[in-house]
Amino acid sequence: MSAAPSLEIGKITLPFGEAFRIAMEDIRRRFIRMMITAASVILAVGFMDALLVLTAVGSAMGGQAASLKPFQLWILFISLLVCVVGIMNSMLIAVAERTREIGTWKCLGALDRHVLLLFLIEAMLIGLVGGIAGWFIGIITGLIYSFQPNVGIAGVTEALTSPSVIALPGLSFLPSIVSMLLLSLLIAISLSMIGTLYPAYRAAKLNPAEALRYEV
Amino acid sequence: MKYEYTVETEDLAKYYTMGPAIVKALDGIDLRVRRGEYLSVMGPSGSGKTTLFNMIGGLDRPTRGRVYIDEVDIAKLDAYELAWLRCRKIGYIFQTFNLIPVLTAIENVMLPMIFAGVPREERIKKATELLQRVGLGDRLYHKPGELSGGQQQRVAIARALANDPAIILADEPTANLDMKTGLEIIGVMRELNQEKGVTVITATHDLKMIDVSDRIVYLRDGKVERIETRREIAIETEEI
Repeated sequence: MSAAPSLEIGKITLPFGEAFRIAMEDIRRRFIRMMITAASVILAVGFMDALLVLTAVGSAMGGQAASLKPFQLWILFISLLVCVVGIMNSMLIAVAERTREIGTWKCLGALDRHVLLLFLIEAMLIGLVGGIAGWFIGIITGLIYSFQPNVGIAGVTEALTSPSVIALPGLSFLPSIVSMLLLSLLIAISLSMIGTLYPAYRAAKLNPAEALRYEV
Repeated sequence: MKYEYTVETEDLAKYYTMGPAIVKALDGIDLRVRRGEYLSVMGPSGSGKTTLFNMIGGLDRPTRGRVYIDEVDIAKLDAYELAWLRCRKIGYIFQTFNLIPVLTAIENVMLPMIFAGVPREERIKKATELLQRVGLGDRLYHKPGELSGGQQQRVAIARALANDPAIILADEPTANLDMKTGLEIIGVMRELNQEKGVTVITATHDLKMIDVSDRIVYLRDGKVERIETRREIAIETEEI
């Protein structure tokens, strides 16, 4: 075995479009579980938006400052943290359940980053759904709670369209309701990604032989 | 004939530590597999068949010794090169079929071709041909859950051949199938071995494999107990 010839190594690819399609199929197959995972995002983001609506309406009525109080921020932070833990928990289960499938992927030529990509696309989609639904539910809840006879339709409309309450950096011209949507999406997708990163990394790093041997 | 030997192992060993004990799953295997050969690895459970399969397939690293695929020492490859080797040089067939459950038969066969960067039209054409070749021309768009065990294993064979590999590695491919279906699968594998000249290495304790194998390696306790070529077996049977 002298002067061993070297292999002509070609490229290994997984185009984003294909990965996206496969991630969609995975979500469709585990739809109910995915919706439960999304529910934790919906609750966290909904809570945030409800608080923001309450503050916006309050400030439009001239009653209070146009920002969240420290204790509200603290509760909000805790609720977002709980959401990340919930996502991480269900993604760890999803990874454990699919360990042998990941082993198969690797046998067919998948790189670590392809496995990571698949899980992160799923996380992004869960975040997207959770962010939009959370925003919608949060606003409705916020409006129900802030309803008072002296706050007319005009007051509520003003609170939600004026850019005063949540001014995103560089986007302060946007009406509050739109800033809230952007903020909700940003937070929902980040939470979902952060919660998925560790389980997905563990999945990607698996040795294929061990992954194939794994029994659920 | 580019290389005479597709697979070579030199003093290959794999030890696992289980608590205080060291389990010698493989203990010094020297094996040379010729191009186009149909080799069966036989032995009782725990004799190291699957470990050997993992070592030759580049799925796990040996404790000692070397594996050469087409004269390349695979211990010297990095993760990217190893993935490429698994994708292009080796086709895997498993006891439990291991199809991707969310993908249809044709998508499963196309998956290795996606990794290899084959254009879409070509992927579809080739996957269709391969599935027709293994007798599933009418099941292209069925998902694994809608197929019988034998049909799933046929999809797995088509998938293993997707990138025209040099070697097909099959780990107990008939263990989860009934007698008749098992025979059919063995038949398909032997035909493709002769048609395409692909080297087939199967770990098995299915005696039906003996009839089609060029050589049989008997493993016991991680060592090669004996090697029989088909001629010797034929003589043995005559004597009986």
